[in-house]
Order: sequence, then structure tokens, then C-alpha cells
Amino acid sequence: MSDPKVRIRDMYKIFGPRDKDVLAHVKNGMGKEELLVQHKHVLGLQDINVDMQEGEITVIMGLSGSGKSTAIRHLNRLIEPTAGEIYVDGEDVMKLSESGLRSLRQEKMSMVFQKFALLPHRTVAQNAAMSLAIRGRDEDEQKSEALRWLDRVGLTGYDGHYPSQLSGGMQQRVGIARALTANTDIMLMDEAFSALDPLIRTDMQDLLLELQTELNKTIIFITHDLDEALKLADHLVILKDGAVVQQGEPQHILLNPNDPYIEDFVSDINRARVLKARSIMQPITAKKFAGDVRANDNLESMIAVSGGETSLTYRVLNAAGEPVGQIDMRDLVRALVPRVSSTAA
Amino acid sequence: MAFYDGLIDALGLRGSCGDDGGGNLSMADLLAATGDDEAGKEFFPFPSLDNLNEACSNIAQSRDVTKGIENAFLGVKDSLKLVLDPITQPLSWLLDGSLWLFQAVPWFIMIPVLLYITWWVARSVGVTIFVALSLLGLAFIDHYDVTMQTLSIIFVCTGISILLGVPIGIAMSKNDRLQKSVIPILDLLQTLPSFVYLIPLIFLFSVTESKLYGIAIILYAIVPVIRLTDLGIRLVDKDVIEAADAFGMNSRQKLWGVQLPLALPNIMAGVNQTIMMSLAMVVIASLVSAPGLGVNVLRGIRNLELGVGIVAGIGIVLLAVILDRTSKAALDRVDMARKHN
Repeated sequence: MSDPKVRIRDMYKIFGPRDKDVLAHVKNGMGKEELLVQHKHVLGLQDINVDMQEGEITVIMGLSGSGKSTAIRHLNRLIEPTAGEIYVDGEDVMKLSESGLRSLRQEKMSMVFQKFALLPHRTVAQNAAMSLAIRGRDEDEQKSEALRWLDRVGLTGYDGHYPSQLSGGMQQRVGIARALTANTDIMLMDEAFSALDPLIRTDMQDLLLELQTELNKTIIFITHDLDEALKLADHLVILKDGAVVQQGEPQHILLNPNDPYIEDFVSDINRARVLKARSIMQPITAKKFAGDVRANDNLESMIAVSGGETSLTYRVLNAAGEPVGQIDMRDLVRALVPRVSSTAA
Repeated sequence: MAFYDGLIDALGLRGSCGDDGGGNLSMADLLAATGDDEAGKEFFPFPSLDNLNEACSNIAQSRDVTKGIENAFLGVKDSLKLVLDPITQPLSWLLDGSLWLFQAVPWFIMIPVLLYITWWVARSVGVTIFVALSLLGLAFIDHYDVTMQTLSIIFVCTGISILLGVPIGIAMSKNDRLQKSVIPILDLLQTLPSFVYLIPLIFLFSVTESKLYGIAIILYAIVPVIRLTDLGIRLVDKDVIEAADAFGMNSRQKLWGVQLPLALPNIMAGVNQTIMMSLAMVVIASLVSAPGLGVNVLRGIRNLELGVGIVAGIGIVLLAVILDRTSKAALDRVDMARKHN
């Protein structure tokens, strides 16, 4: 595996006037509550270590107050960490000068916001071209790039409108177009779809996945919605109280939650729809198969294919059509049952 | 014997009091000296400076306090004048030049120009017609010249207030410490009775100089534009500012591209208030030779010329309505541009 595009090392964030002084207490294991009571400082993030690979969608998930929005703002230093290192393309973001930081924000990282944060006094096209205007590109280039990306996100013909004339979903499309026009390798998306209603949200998730297959950006996506996280994530990071509880491939987390908190979290999920054949397949031992399935088929579709028969065994083929494993339907049914909390067992 | 003799003795300060009766006589002393001694005395007088002075002549009297302030002011006056005079001299030129311009341009050019300006900033037929009727009406009763004088002073003073006030407001919005230290000054300027502005200014500058009333008007009228610029910039949506930061705007791009345009409705409201307050002050400034409608009001009061005073008063009300409606219409226009609905 190549070097990660973005790498966070030992990052801590404590909110308060003497954050550096109380850092030692946190490193010695003082908890969030204690810190608040004894030192009147709020623990935002502790001991965060995450690698984000190029071309992947890394989803940081957590409930409100878990520090996920704080975490994403550290990447472009909208919030200064108390301690830790952040590397983008191997370069330490913490060591950047003010102008270096500005050019990082202009050229390497764009951002999409939960509340859209469009400029209300500028047209849709001007908003989309914002990053180019900041960099001082000429008007023609601004206009053509903005129109191109507005087109791409499905807003053809809206370039002369003002943000307040658009619906929430359309405003967020402008937000995405603005980030795409910046033509950065990295896109930060801070609960980008949380303010939208469910149908629009699904649309936008599909749009994002579609754009991603084409553009292969490094996307860091924040959400509090596990369904959304599982749909988008190549790499899932789960935060709780400012610390990483578990991170890894989403299917793996779903099958092997290492914490009661995550077990609770994943127990409500429709596992048949989320789990893929490749996640539960076994090495090939059988000689005869009832049929072939694709590695990326979800279990729901396998149940449909088998007609509910549990005595069958299917062969799993990868994208190139080569056999890579087998699935016994009995294993499949077992995989649908969420693992009971280890403490309860 | 004075009431506080006992106290001075008890504290052992008698020795440092010097000879009794060496101090200045207060008015009360003189009165007491003419009338009978103890009759006017209270049973337990407040330990004020004058009463203590009776017991010990080395303690200052109350009139020394006012005297001291006066002397202190007169003491720094010359050096203050040395600094302030050249700085404020352009204000005199501006005021005089503008007065000359407003009066030199004949009415048949001036009124159309003013109407065109009204139309240009307000874009409202109703407001423009109202301004036209008011100006023609005032001119019809031979108040054209004084109206133009007042208008000229307001134009200059509001212009300078905006030029100085908006940058001060911007600086305040960027710096909490500065805001904390400027707000008490603004409170003071706003609550100080408008007549009190004139007292130190009269000592500093000669009454024949126009900057005297110019400074008084600007000090009084600049407050709202500073306050509302500061407020307007602080009220700009934090999310939008964050987005501007996230896309790498520098602070100049942020100020001109985001903060000022979004704060504009508030700033315009401040400008409207500033215009109204300079109109209020320009009347009082007629006490120190500011020309215009205020002079007629003053004449009405001094000579008990009821009609003159009331007509001038109505003229001022008309001017106020003109300026208010025009600037409000401009403000609405800015707001409308924001909503696009």
C-alpha cells in the first residue's frame, strides 16, 4: 500500500485557555468528565491516529459531541490542535506558514459544509467559481469551470440564480460544485448531507459515489448516520467522546465490532442489505455449487436467488469472473444475526 | 467655631493646618459674616470640602476643584491647539468650500441635481416626488439658502463620519480588546448633552472657524455608524466566514468579498442614524455660528419671533424626513438585493 494521502498522528484537542498545560493530565489517562470538573477544560479529541488513503472515501462517524466535526477542521487547521501532527502528501500541515496554509486550502483541500455556507450575495455561478476567484484566475476560466461543474452536479441553467432561490438539496449541489471547481485532490465533507431530507440525501449519496468513480478524489466524510457511513465508506473510523473506538473496513467492523458501543450501533442495521458476499465467503472446498454470485452482491440478493433455501452452497466470483470463495447459505443466515454484546453473553 | 474642628484635632492634623483664617472666604463665610453666626449652621453638616475647609484652611475648597479643571484645560490648551489645529484645518476648508458650492450653484441646477441623487440612491418615484415638493416649498417661502447651508453641512459631516466611522467599526469588530475600550467612549459621546460638546471646543478654536461646529457635529453623529459597522460585521454568518477561510481567502478578500457586503444593511442603518443625528446637532451648532435653518430657530428663541422659529422648525422636520426617507429607501434597496425574491 502506498503512503497515505492524509495522515493524522497522536492528535489531541483540548478546549480552554490552558490547553497545553492540562494535556499532560489527559495523556496520563484523565477522562473527559474529570478534566471538566477539575480543570474546567473540555476534551475535544484524544490520541487520534488515522491514515486516509488516496482515492478512498474515509468516513468518520460518531454521535453529536463525539468530536468528528472538530477532527475534520484540524485537517485544514480551521481549528488548531493542542498536540499532534497532520501530514498531507507527506508535508506537515502544522509547520505551514500562514500563506502556506492558505495555498494548502486553495489548492489541496476543498470543503463542503452541513449548512451549505454559500455566499448569499453572489450568484450560483459566482459561488461555484469562488475558489478560482480567490486564486485570481481570469473571469472566462472562472465562468467556464463553474458552468462545467454545475452541469456535472445537475444544475444546468441555474447559474444566474441566487442561493436563496434554490432548495436545500440544490444549494448543497452548489456546495459540491464549488468544492469540485477548486480541483483539489482532497475533499472534506462535514455532515454534507445531514441537513437534507432522506430522499434527497440518497440522491446526493449516489451523486457523490458516481462522481467518485470518475474523479477518484480523497474524500473525508463526516456523518452521524451509520447507513450513510456504510454506503459511502472505504475506510470507516468510529469516534466516541473524542477517541477512535474502532477503524477499518466497514464490513469488517460490522462483522467484528470490538466494543459494546459499536455493537449497539450496528445492531439496528439491515445487515442483509449492507453485508456483501465477499465479507462472509469461505475458501472453496465444495465441488458442486447451486450457482454463482458476485463478490459485491449483498446478502439480500443472495437470499432472493436461493429462494430462502438454506441447504445450498454458492460460488463467489470476483469482478473478473474468477472464483474466489464459496458461501454456505447456513453461514449466510448466521451472519445476519448481530453478535450479542460480549458483556451480556 | 467650625463643626469639624474636633475631628481635625482628634486626628492630630492641627499642626499642618497652618494659621486659621488664612484661606479664601467662601460665599457661605461672607453670608455668615454679615448675618448672625450660628443661626444658619446645620446641626451635622456633610463633611464636604467647604465645611472641612472651615475647620482647617489647608484643605481645598470646592471651587478649587472647578478652578483646577479649568486651569488644567487652559494649561494643555495651547499644546493641544498646536496639534489639533493643523489636523482639523482641512475640515474648515471642506465645510467652507461646500457651503460656497451649495450657494454658488443656482437653484435651477441645484434642485434637479439633488433630485437626481435622490433617484439614484433611492430608486423610488414616491420619495423623489416628495423631495421635489419639499425643496420647492422651502424655496417658495424664501428658505432656499438656509436649507442649502444646512444640507451642505450635513453632507460634509456625514461624509466624514462615514469615512472615519466605518474603518473604526471594522477595526473594533476584529479586535475584542479595542471594542471593549472604544464602547465606553461611544457611550460617553452619545450621552454627553450636546451643549457640553461645545464648551471645550470654544476654548480650543475660535468661534469664527467652521471646524468648531464641524467637530461638534461629527463627534455627536459618528457613534451609530461605528456601532452598527462593528455589529454588522460581527453578525455575519459564522458558517460563511468559515467557508471563506476553508477556501483560503486572505483577510482582505474576506473583508471586501464577504464581511462588508453581508454587513451592508446594518452599516446603511448606521448611516441613516448618523444623518439624523448630524441634523439634530446642526441646529444646536447654530449657537457657535453654524449657518442654516438653526440660525432662524435661534432667532425665534432669542427675539421671541414665534413665526420665524416655527417655520424654520418645520423646515428642519422636512429636511429630516427627506434625508430619512431617502437613506431608508437606499437601505431597503440593499436589503432587496440580498433577498432576490
